[in-house]
Amino acid sequence: MAELRTEEFTVNMGPHHPSTHGVCRLILTLSGEKVIKIVPVIGYLHRALEKICENRTYAQCIPVMDRFEYVTAMSCEYLFSNAAEKLAEIEVPERAEYLRVIMLELNRIASHLIFYGVTAMDIGALTPFLYGLREREGIIDLFEMTCGQRLTYNYIRIGGVSKDIPPQFEPKCRETIKTIREKLNDYEGLLNENPIWLVRNKGIGVLPADLGIAYGVSGPVLRASGVKYDIRKDDPYSIYDRFDFEIPTRENGDCYDRYLLRLDEIKQSLNIVEQALDALPEGDIKAKVSPNFKPPAGEVYARVENSRGELGVYIQSDGGKKPLRVKMRGGSFNQLQVLPEIGTDCLVADLVAIFASLDIILPEVDR
Amino acid sequence: MKLLKDIKNLLIGMRITGKHLGRHAITIQYPEERWEMPERSRGIVVLLSDKETGDLNCTGCLLCMKACPSAAIFIDAPRDPETKKRKLLTFTVDNALCCFCGLCEEACNFSAIKMATMYEFSEPEKEGFLWDMKKLQEVGLDVDYIDTRKKKPAKKVPKPATDSGTATDKIVPDTLDSDAKQTPPAPEPDKPKEDGE
Ligand code: SF4
Ligand code: SF4
Repeated sequence: MAELRTEEFTVNMGPHHPSTHGVCRLILTLSGEKVIKIVPVIGYLHRALEKICENRTYAQCIPVMDRFEYVTAMSCEYLFSNAAEKLAEIEVPERAEYLRVIMLELNRIASHLIFYGVTAMDIGALTPFLYGLREREGIIDLFEMTCGQRLTYNYIRIGGVSKDIPPQFEPKCRETIKTIREKLNDYEGLLNENPIWLVRNKGIGVLPADLGIAYGVSGPVLRASGVKYDIRKDDPYSIYDRFDFEIPTRENGDCYDRYLLRLDEIKQSLNIVEQALDALPEGDIKAKVSPNFKPPAGEVYARVENSRGELGVYIQSDGGKKPLRVKMRGGSFNQLQVLPEIGTDCLVADLVAIFASLDIILPEVDR
Repeated sequence: MKLLKDIKNLLIGMRITGKHLGRHAITIQYPEERWEMPERSRGIVVLLSDKETGDLNCTGCLLCMKACPSAAIFIDAPRDPETKKRKLLTFTVDNALCCFCGLCEEACNFSAIKMATMYEFSEPEKEGFLWDMKKLQEVGLDVDYIDTRKKKPAKKVPKPATDSGTATDKIVPDTLDSDAKQTPPAPEPDKPKEDGE
């Protein structure tokens, strides 16, 4: 009888694997069921967004920004507008700032709800996906009522926002907040103590804090490893310093903590939206911005806390109507880089859980 | 003991799911049933006509074409050498290029272009997405709008709270330079000229 031996085996996971969220290809070297090497291959969604921006006027860049990270498009719009405002030193009216915060936080909640549903589905629980998307629908309806679109909003503009909220927005928004608060109990009841969920997530894909910092990981993934770093508190932008909210952190840095942390963040964001609705002042929604907006020559870097970590944009201006250079920074890129570190030596099924818990979105990686 | 706890937790999950048994469905049966689109919903681009005369409101000022980030609007409106007024010859929107951003509607000072709430316009051929002036006008005939033309555009009165509440000042970006501008697709018969702007 021939001698039995085992061999390493290379497979492609993706680009069309359902749990690689978009089109990411992971070249896995497997020994049996164990992953011994991961090489992510990116670029399948490259659209040259930075280059496209360089060929558009500042106002025309905003719809392009929506496509950078479409799950939280509001953040991208805010980011670009904020950078342009910094360049041109534009003062944004109070009401516009409040509206922006409301939209940004609602969008963060919507993004975390998608995370909740999609992660559970990757791990094999289908019900949470339906619940998560049902509640997200309420938020998307609010956006559609305000700006007319469900995903690519084009709402936050340089100097303010494009439209005021309709009168039915506030009652509907408070109702949505109430529903989500109630349903969060359901969400936690479904998964938090579920034995299958615990086995699949607890102690899986542990990211030590120093490794995370070394790779530039930010956002919920880093906070789940115990680092209390949130740009909303550490480098406040807009009017975040006026609201009373906590930065939740967790200690273990495993998939389970990353999941819990996002649920905690939803609660904090709901608080912020409520406070902003209470304090919403009357007034203008947009500063006067010249139709041929031309910021002075110079460069600027703006950053915001997105649901996937630090989102940044660097704009170089030569004083013309188009930016000379635009460079984006998305949190998902760093999260994907850290995947080979924390994903090796685990099972293929665990890799799916880790990938899901990092909440990577590919358009942000590929630009 | 752990086993009992696990079973209990599984049952908790099942109870939550069970609560939804017998609830009515939250989905609807498209296309038999349709979602009512909100007033501000940004669907297809249409051209609006005067409510009395039935003529197009468009003056051919090219502002929407310059505002469009996708270069989806092609207008041919040369200036009359004597009166210096523009005459609108062709107005084509390529719906395959349009990204439904709504900047054209905001750029227009003459209530001439609007994003209607219609969203069903799929076509088997790419050429079908090129909508010419006639088609844009036809589709826009039964679209309701508030006519703001008679007033001076600079002094736009704030609209009533129920309407789409557009910001009072508009961003009208300067033209896309010709290097950034895509040429209209080849099958386009009435190719617009870049006339002297
Ligand atoms: S901005 Fe209005 S009036 Fe001017 S060309 Fe466009 S649709 Fe016509
Ligand atoms: S909606 Fe935007 S992309 Fe479409 S035609 Fe108008 S300006 Fe162009």
